[in-house]
Amino acid sequence: QTLIKGQVTDENGQALPGVNVLIKGTSRGAVTDVKGEYTLSDAPADAVLIVSFIGYVSQEISVAGKSVVDAKLVPDVKALEEVVVIGYGTTTVKELTGSVSSVSGSKLSSLNTVRVDQALQGQAAGVQISTASGSPGGALNIRIRGLSTNGDNNPLVLVDGVPYSTDGLNALNPSDIESINVLKDGTAGIYGVRAANGVIIITTKQGKRNSKPSIEFSGYYGSQQTTKKLDLLNAHQYAVLKNEAYAAGGQAPPFANVDLGKGTDWQKEVFQKAPIMNYNLNMNGGSDKSTYSIGGSYMNQEGIVGGDKASYRRYNARINFTTDIAPRLTLQNVLLYTNERRRTLPENGIASVLYNTTNASPATTVRNPDGTYTYLEEFSDIINPLAQMANTFNQTNVNKLVGKEELTYKINENFELSARLGYNYANVSSKTFSPLVYYGSGKAQNTATNPALVPDSITLYSKEVDSVRSNGQWTKVNASYKIPRLNSVTETEQTFFNYNAEAFLNYNKTFSDIHHVKATLGISYFGDQGKSLSGTAYNIPYNSNDFADISAADGTNLLNNTTSYQYRSRLQSYFLRGEYGYKGKYMLSALVRRDASSNFGKNNRFGYFPAVSGAWVLSEEPFFQSDLFQFVKVRASYGVAGNDKIGNFRYRALLGGEGVYPFNNQLVNGVAIGTLGNQDLKWETTHQTNVGIDFSLFNGKLDITTDYYIKKTKDLLFQPDISAIAGAYGAGGSPPWINAGDVKNNGFELLINYNDKIGEDFRFNIGYNLTTIHNEVTALPDGVQFIEGGAFGVGGTRPTRMQVGYPIGYFYGYKTDGVYQTTQEVTERGVTQENAQPGDLRFVDQDKSGDINFSNNSDKTKIGSPIPDMIMGLNLGLNFKGFDVSGTLYVSLGNDILRNYERDQPLANLLAYRLNRWTGPGSTNTDPRLFTSSTQTNRNNVISDYFVEDGSFARIKNVQLGYTLPAAISKKIGATKLRIYVAANNLATFTKYRGYDPDLSAQFDPNNASGSTLSSGIDYGFYPQAKTFMAGLNLNF
Amino acid sequence: CDDYVDIDPQYAQDADNYFLSPSDYDKALTGAYDLMQTSYLDMWIGEIASDNSIAGGESVTDSEGLHQIDNMSHGGVNNELRSLFRWMYAGITRVNYIFENKDKLEFDGKTRILAEASFLRGYYYFELVKFFGDVPLVLDKRLSASEISAQPRTPASDVYAQIVKDLQFAADNLGWTTSTKGRITKGAALSLMGKAYLYQNKFAEAAQTLDKVIDEGPYTLSTDFSTLFRVASEGNSETVFDIEYVGIEGGGYGCFVCLEGFAAVGFHSIRGYKGPIYADGNSYNLPTQDLVDEFEPNDPRLATSILDIEAFKAAQLPVKVEYTVGGGGHTGFYNNKYLKRADELGANDNDLTSPVNHRVIRFADVLLMAAEAHNRKATPDDTKALAYLNQVRTRVSVNMPPVNATGGALTQAIYHERRVELAGEGIHFFDLVRTGRAADQIAGFKVGKNEVFPIPQAEIDLAGAGWLQNTGY
Repeated sequence: QTLIKGQVTDENGQALPGVNVLIKGTSRGAVTDVKGEYTLSDAPADAVLIVSFIGYVSQEISVAGKSVVDAKLVPDVKALEEVVVIGYGTTTVKELTGSVSSVSGSKLSSLNTVRVDQALQGQAAGVQISTASGSPGGALNIRIRGLSTNGDNNPLVLVDGVPYSTDGLNALNPSDIESINVLKDGTAGIYGVRAANGVIIITTKQGKRNSKPSIEFSGYYGSQQTTKKLDLLNAHQYAVLKNEAYAAGGQAPPFANVDLGKGTDWQKEVFQKAPIMNYNLNMNGGSDKSTYSIGGSYMNQEGIVGGDKASYRRYNARINFTTDIAPRLTLQNVLLYTNERRRTLPENGIASVLYNTTNASPATTVRNPDGTYTYLEEFSDIINPLAQMANTFNQTNVNKLVGKEELTYKINENFELSARLGYNYANVSSKTFSPLVYYGSGKAQNTATNPALVPDSITLYSKEVDSVRSNGQWTKVNASYKIPRLNSVTETEQTFFNYNAEAFLNYNKTFSDIHHVKATLGISYFGDQGKSLSGTAYNIPYNSNDFADISAADGTNLLNNTTSYQYRSRLQSYFLRGEYGYKGKYMLSALVRRDASSNFGKNNRFGYFPAVSGAWVLSEEPFFQSDLFQFVKVRASYGVAGNDKIGNFRYRALLGGEGVYPFNNQLVNGVAIGTLGNQDLKWETTHQTNVGIDFSLFNGKLDITTDYYIKKTKDLLFQPDISAIAGAYGAGGSPPWINAGDVKNNGFELLINYNDKIGEDFRFNIGYNLTTIHNEVTALPDGVQFIEGGAFGVGGTRPTRMQVGYPIGYFYGYKTDGVYQTTQEVTERGVTQENAQPGDLRFVDQDKSGDINFSNNSDKTKIGSPIPDMIMGLNLGLNFKGFDVSGTLYVSLGNDILRNYERDQPLANLLAYRLNRWTGPGSTNTDPRLFTSSTQTNRNNVISDYFVEDGSFARIKNVQLGYTLPAAISKKIGATKLRIYVAANNLATFTKYRGYDPDLSAQFDPNNASGSTLSSGIDYGFYPQAKTFMAGLNLNF
Repeated sequence: CDDYVDIDPQYAQDADNYFLSPSDYDKALTGAYDLMQTSYLDMWIGEIASDNSIAGGESVTDSEGLHQIDNMSHGGVNNELRSLFRWMYAGITRVNYIFENKDKLEFDGKTRILAEASFLRGYYYFELVKFFGDVPLVLDKRLSASEISAQPRTPASDVYAQIVKDLQFAADNLGWTTSTKGRITKGAALSLMGKAYLYQNKFAEAAQTLDKVIDEGPYTLSTDFSTLFRVASEGNSETVFDIEYVGIEGGGYGCFVCLEGFAAVGFHSIRGYKGPIYADGNSYNLPTQDLVDEFEPNDPRLATSILDIEAFKAAQLPVKVEYTVGGGGHTGFYNNKYLKRADELGANDNDLTSPVNHRVIRFADVLLMAAEAHNRKATPDDTKALAYLNQVRTRVSVNMPPVNATGGALTQAIYHERRVELAGEGIHFFDLVRTGRAADQIAGFKVGKNEVFPIPQAEIDLAGAGWLQNTGY
């Protein structure tokens, strides 16, 4: 019985505070202080101390009568014992039978991204993250193992067990996260009908028992700028090229004088440097009966286009508290509160700010001499982007509360019962002010038709006011009724609420030291509901955003209107999982979940989702003798999961059609058939086979994880076109949702981690991951040859297709074969191409019919695919004494992008590549001539591979250089750690793509209400991601 | 044990649990009227396909399908034709939904509802048969997905028979006038029936039916042709059948099926326009010199029907008028009947919304159809035909000299009169086709092929009913 003291240090000799030192076989222990020192009284002389700290290998040290026991902990480089969350339970890396990607919260938060999913890009094999919008608060698309459906491809996201929408991931502060585990294979089936697109399990930070309060402050401030500006023509080049184009079409050149110099650089006017800042404060600790982790944060990001007009601001508050409320009964309380504010500008498509910026004439100034914005009168629908930004007013405020109460009762050594109630409540409040604004004559965005902003009158109707008898007959006399067109404000209040009540029993026992048995049995109820109320009011005083509120509007106006909607859905589930391990060598797991979903009718309301998986740890076999490999495991799994992500009650034929018609000059609301019903509707089903091998080499320095998967999704849930005679295509109507079509994804995943040190002071780690995706549509509904999507040009064709034998959403159009050089070539080619002239694109006669047909699809073919062949992530980290350097590279190879941000208007500006246009025989065989005509037809702008570009890119996502002050110095200010750093996000992008940002993904598809998948890879004028330079610090107390 | 998930949608009705009150029938009827608002496209194509106008627009790839129709190079893949096919069947289905449930409830006034519904079905089928020839005839029920492949293309003559039957029912049960502006009348039903006979070259039946409208109906020609197409003249004495629009309902470019406004007005209008009277638009459907030349000298209808932009520009001086030319073509002329006016703007995007009604059948058209029917029937009554023709020519405000001709010369005079009187109203292409003159007048028109448009290829595939494509496509 002695007093034992000691110091715990890391391998560099730095003191480690907060380390647990426990006397083995007892619950007595101590925690190291700031100096890494601990004191244990009453320790037996023969005690064994367990020294443990997260991220380090635990050590057992025999006291053997000593009174000073120091310990040096080494980082846990290959944590085979690391916990992996698998849904309603955990396992270890060593025992894992499925395919799970794990990323630590510290890695994610060190990347300084606004969104959690942004940080995941390039971090986990099999997880593809791409950007739907680079604007602050913009959404991302998360795709786990490819595109399985042209419906909803979003994975199920759970935050501490609470379902979280992928759109709402903005609300989560990356610094609050302990870990992310991505269930990729069939074992995700423990989440049944919601698991087909994979499951992302996010765990928030928790305190540790018996640890002193530790306070962490982190913050950074940065400056953002665009990752790229387009190479556009300057005013002189523009004038020359426009004159040439007009002359080619037999029209008078528009510019008598082409010496216009550089003119206006609209991009310079529109893009700006914008600040970003983020500050976090976390406090963790615990007593012997409870733990706590409390956090708060503030983040604010302004837009590189629009500044405060496109901004995102977030406050987070969080508490994670556990306490033993009775012996063996523990309560966990998690509460995450978020307040968000987002402002946006029009993005994507012909109305967007960047589209206007790209197409505006460099020969026109931004402002008139009197300071007002110019009208860009030479265009019919291109408006001054600066005027547009100045007149855009909208904001969305979100208040979100997510939490759970979980009771865990440890019945005995083997049984543990958990019951929890999770909830996710969000109030989304948005307001849009549309001022009276005049952008120039005839602009569609005008709300007034004169610069003085005198309200126009809208003719509502004419009405019979009297009858006059003339020529012996009654004649009706009519008068028009008009109201002024006024400014307006629209306010929308939406409430979303979901809850889940779950209970599950876990069993865990090892028999005779060799048979390890685990089982989970549970039940889950999930309910989701929401409602919205929206109103518009007119005539805001002074045409000013300061008064933009329904309460300030003129209440007597005719056009005030309100709308509302509500929805609800429910899920009822039972699940069972059994796991068996023999001597840590053979592992077998089987599970089944039964889900009943209110999204389907009685014919197909519930389904069973089974999965089996197994693993064999070769390196545990007596015959396995290798100095090189310390660990080798072979894994295999097969499982079935479902996807029920469609709107509610789609199986029913609801009267949702729009049937409004004017009688007596008043709109009368009728009733009409809406989306057609389908009582046989059921979930789509994914069957996934996965095999993998894990290796650990060089004493844990090198870890390799490989996976090969085949994922077949059947009975896709969507609304393919139906014959017109079914009558689905009236306003508000749509075809029935049906189950039809199959998609196959297969691919290979590789994850390599290498950790080593050179000498005592230089440590480094390299992480590399690779994902290949082969996507193919393998079946479509009867009678459907293909499904079209996306949009190209204005009122143009749909450029993407879903078709058997091709990747989903591939680009479909004409192939080109150079440029016609001479008239002789046009006439003697042997293929007729309507209206072709020298300098025009030469299209390939795909069907060998002898002519290029522009009125049907006979000469169109595959001209590209938005799906990358391969994505890779490379993560580097170096530590030398107090310095640390890290970097993340993300690579996407083989994805094509369809260029669709160039307006086909005679005077629209052009990208500089047009300088290489065809000007005469032999000048070029790539870029066609410039041509503008009001009478002749030119086909250079039909959908063709001329508009398809290789979107492959490599991007340095994050580089960081940090310095941790020596403990002696940080101690002086009472801190245990002080690290300062400088970092850059999106520092450099290597790509041949001419557009703003090759990291773009599916955006809203105007032609496909059921999803955006078929709009992938089309650049509608994408808001690029920012390049950010920042400086920050981490301070721990 | 799955009671928890057995929930119903809130505040929403099922299509299979409707028609519980008389007002349910009325609402369903309003829903069936609604699809008529999509037929702005039928009108538009009726012009572009003929020699009356060119497609126009921003570029030749802007609404490519219209340019193909303009050039007579259209095929089975054509967005506009497919929209038309879909919309008309959507309208038919909304009518059939009412007939499917017609016996669910008995109440006063049901006959009137069924009569109006019959008219609507007749109208939608008439548009289909006019464009596509043989089309599947679906009656009195909604089709389930599995029934579609059992629907053959019904011969056009049978479709016409059903149209006449539906219109007869409507005519028998509706009055000549209605207290509700926008509701279908007996006159509309009989006039459309006369038109349907004319399209089948059943001249005697056409003459008889149209005479009834002329003799018994309340219609007279308006005395001011120049304001006939303005909002203020809606519901005038010449109105037989209008599709109603008010300026409020609009739409977006993302969803043309949601378009509830009279988009033709904004789309026809002058691109980049700056000046008095008119308002800016998208320069589609531009009249040709050939149409202008058809007008006799001093015919006041020319100025009402067609705007000569350069002449207008000169006339406005010293007020400056500006406009631009679209890449889809320019003729110098605009469809002045349906052209956006500064004092007739709709709400929101007024390219897509207009308060102007679509005049589908005017009394002048009734008179000219009757004239043609009397002139071309087996036993011609040229006296009557001439009287009708001259009534149109000599109306107050037009005052063209009366024609004096018989036989073939009279036929030609009627054809001429139809082209100028009805210029820009979407009728000329079908007039040329049914009178066998299309090949002479329309460049690229192939006899035996272009009389009807191709059935959208996707519809042939989707139906899976073994429909054969129209000859030549």
